Amino acid sequence: MWAQVINALLGIWLTASPAILGIEDKTISNNAHIVGPVVASFAIIAWWEATRVVRLYNIPLGFWLLLAPWVLGYDQMSVIINDMVIGAAIVWLSFVKGNIEGTYGGGWSAIWKKDALHTIEARRTPRV
Amino acid sequence: MTDTTDAIPPGWSYNPASWSQRLPIVGMAIVGFAIAMYLGLFQLKVVPTVWEPFFGNGSQKILTSPTSQLLPVPDAILGAFGYFMDAVAGIVGGKRRWRTMPWIVVLFGVFVGPLGMISVLLVVLQPVLYDAWCTLCLVTAAISVIMIGPAMDEMLASLQYMKRAKDANISLWKVFWGYKEVQGKVI
Repeated sequence: MWAQVINALLGIWLTASPAILGIEDKTISNNAHIVGPVVASFAIIAWWEATRVVRLYNIPLGFWLLLAPWVLGYDQMSVIINDMVIGAAIVWLSFVKGNIEGTYGGGWSAIWKKDALHTIEARRTPRV
Repeated sequence: MTDTTDAIPPGWSYNPASWSQRLPIVGMAIVGFAIAMYLGLFQLKVVPTVWEPFFGNGSQKILTSPTSQLLPVPDAILGAFGYFMDAVAGIVGGKRRWRTMPWIVVLFGVFVGPLGMISVLLVVLQPVLYDAWCTLCLVTAAISVIMIGPAMDEMLASLQYMKRAKDANISLWKVFWGYKEVQGKVI
């Protein structure tokens, strides 16, 4: 979970960074203001074990931050470094699954998969 | 079987529909409702000013923006209604509701999930369209996002239950609405 706590903070930092770094450029600040809250939200949803899988949605967003300075043509070194370092950290931390202590009947894929954990367990349990 | 264990879904280590799981979400929804109601009353000009400790006239700018008036009802009033529905859908039903009334669990998930996503969208629109931030709007958005994770586990348990019912060729319609005749046919 710690990895997703850091990712949430990185998302918040990204959101606040145009104001902190004094960025005037609307393209750069819009990018930070759009990607930041979304990264933070996905990371927060992934704090819980049952929805930990949502952390993976941040991987493409992290990669986008690595590309954005070049695609959108940033001209400030501080912002290029800021976005790329945050992007790399987000990609890395999104892969960190962390401890899953509970069991969840086989998770989300168990809704369509055959013989998932919940099906097997239900078969073994006597009728109420 | 004892009273508590049969409320735990098969293959789960806990019951996601237990009161200790649901009441914190309901509590957050009530706090969200109170804040959204306050912001909505400002938008309806019932409250003359709005509390804004950090961003100057940011809250005022956001709460009187064209986006906030897109619909006939101010957006914070709609938000308050959303939190109210979250709280109601969180309260209704007992600790076995993931199998006795899947419809309310799914409805709860539908209220909490998209409402949280709309909050995030509104957060993005604040700086992008209006170059302003609204503190209490951010607080309510944070509340909605925090609610998503803990609400979804219960929906997962209900959907897995419906999958087991479908595999046993029981009418999904009846299972979804919790018809008495299908209760207990699958666990």
